Amino acid sequence: MSVCPFIIIRLKQLYRTLTGIGLIRFIFLIALISFLGIYVFLQTLKTPGSFYVTGAVLLIILMIHAKRTDRTFLRTHFEHYGLICLAEYIILTLPILVFLIINHQWIAVALLLVALSITAGLNLKIRSPQGNAKMLKLIPYPCYEWKSGMRRNGYIIFSLWMIGLGTSFFIGSVPIVLFILGIIPFSFYDKEEPYQMIIACEMSTNRFLFNKLKMQLTLFSLLAFPLVILFIIFNPQLWYIPVVEYLIFITLHIFLILARYAFYQPNEKPYSAQVYGAIGVLAGIVPILLPVIWLLSVRFFFKSQENLKPYLNDFN
Amino acid sequence: MISIKDLNISYNSSSKVIDSLCLLLPEGSIHGIVGLNGAGKTTLLNAIYGIKNIDSGEICLDGKGLTKNEMSFLVTENFFYSNITAREYLSLFKNLYFDADRWNGLFFLPLDTIIDDYSTGMKKKLAILGVLKQDKPIMILDEPFNGLDIEACRIIRSILLRLKEKGKTVIITSHIIETLTNLCDDIHYLEGGKIKFSKEKHEFAEFEKEIFKSIENKSSELLSELI
Repeated sequence: MSVCPFIIIRLKQLYRTLTGIGLIRFIFLIALISFLGIYVFLQTLKTPGSFYVTGAVLLIILMIHAKRTDRTFLRTHFEHYGLICLAEYIILTLPILVFLIINHQWIAVALLLVALSITAGLNLKIRSPQGNAKMLKLIPYPCYEWKSGMRRNGYIIFSLWMIGLGTSFFIGSVPIVLFILGIIPFSFYDKEEPYQMIIACEMSTNRFLFNKLKMQLTLFSLLAFPLVILFIIFNPQLWYIPVVEYLIFITLHIFLILARYAFYQPNEKPYSAQVYGAIGVLAGIVPILLPVIWLLSVRFFFKSQENLKPYLNDFN
Repeated sequence: MISIKDLNISYNSSSKVIDSLCLLLPEGSIHGIVGLNGAGKTTLLNAIYGIKNIDSGEICLDGKGLTKNEMSFLVTENFFYSNITAREYLSLFKNLYFDADRWNGLFFLPLDTIIDDYSTGMKKKLAILGVLKQDKPIMILDEPFNGLDIEACRIIRSILLRLKEKGKTVIITSHIIETLTNLCDDIHYLEGGKIKFSKEKHEFAEFEKEIFKSIENKSSELLSELI
């Protein structure tokens, strides 16, 4: 199997996914990507910015590589597993590479290409150690998304949290850790639960949604509060930075859960929910999108009510 | 001859999944591997295919190490990319002489339909077509009959028997013992990471009795307490 036919099929797959999300969402997505593209292009004009962009892109690629679900398929069916991954990553990062080349950021280009080659060859799999079990016992049973998510990412979350606490006297430390900790829960909700788990709650639609939101916000707040408090103790003049960041993520998490149930399909990963999840992550990076998120949250609340009715109607 | 010598595999230092396993699998035959859930069947197949690191031991074909060029592997839970058609899936495997439409005459799959719309059984048939397209001398099939209807099971059985006649080697696992006794030239029973016993074709009747007796002995006491 050569790489080219594989890439062509992957591009066809992407095309079908994009055409499947509908015209309005597609235009919205293109507008977002264009906005992000301009932002990234401006960042790559000068040296510190180009390195930050390279680092961020590499981090995203590393996460994609670690979470690939087609790893066994590629390894069992193709000899050039690493080459296929490398080709995919180069295509994914092509716009960034073009920006860097246009702006003559040759060191960043070289760094990105070398790092992509290394990443493609890695047999990377994030697995939390068993010590995680004690931490999981602290999460209540109904928060199964968090239990599953912490089982997968608990080690990273705990390490980041400890780093955040330990370095909270630095101005940049807590906001960065809080940002990453705010983004990670987005991956907890990537797959929809079976409808039996929704029915088993025996709650009305509204109560079910409020309960989900309450659990998410409580658990995130438990993670965030110690970081915010320590930051305020060490940097009282800048108290508003982590507070605003925390409030932004609260609204993003509300949006995430409402989008999940607005497009709920048992045991599936609906594209629409994934696209909106990605928009939520983008809004964390580009806060100008927040008003859109708030408006969509209101719409998704009513859409979730409708969508969950077949499962929870008997309890309404 | 595929020879597995003193194979040891563990997932962590305390638990051995495969424990000093030795096995000889002649070429041009169909070899069955059975065992209870968690006995180490899939781990053994993964190790033969080379996607599971081994602690010690060796797996050889005529004294040389096995390479992926010589093997195709059907895993238990097959992966399919979303939003691609079955024909596109098959085009991922390089074999100019494989006529997908003629082969599909055996399975009746809608090849131009997106795989996401396939049922579990249809996906299994498609994965089997993918393995057949690879046309390697050694085929490793992990639970190939899972989710298939009676007709498809019969067809796959016929395909495997014909491939054997052409000199292919098939290593197959299944938890449906009858499918293996009707198909294999030898069957190996895996328990606790070791081959507990191996039986040739003429011993299969006795083999079934032994397995059922072993299972009966394990469960009867608890069953009588529970029900």
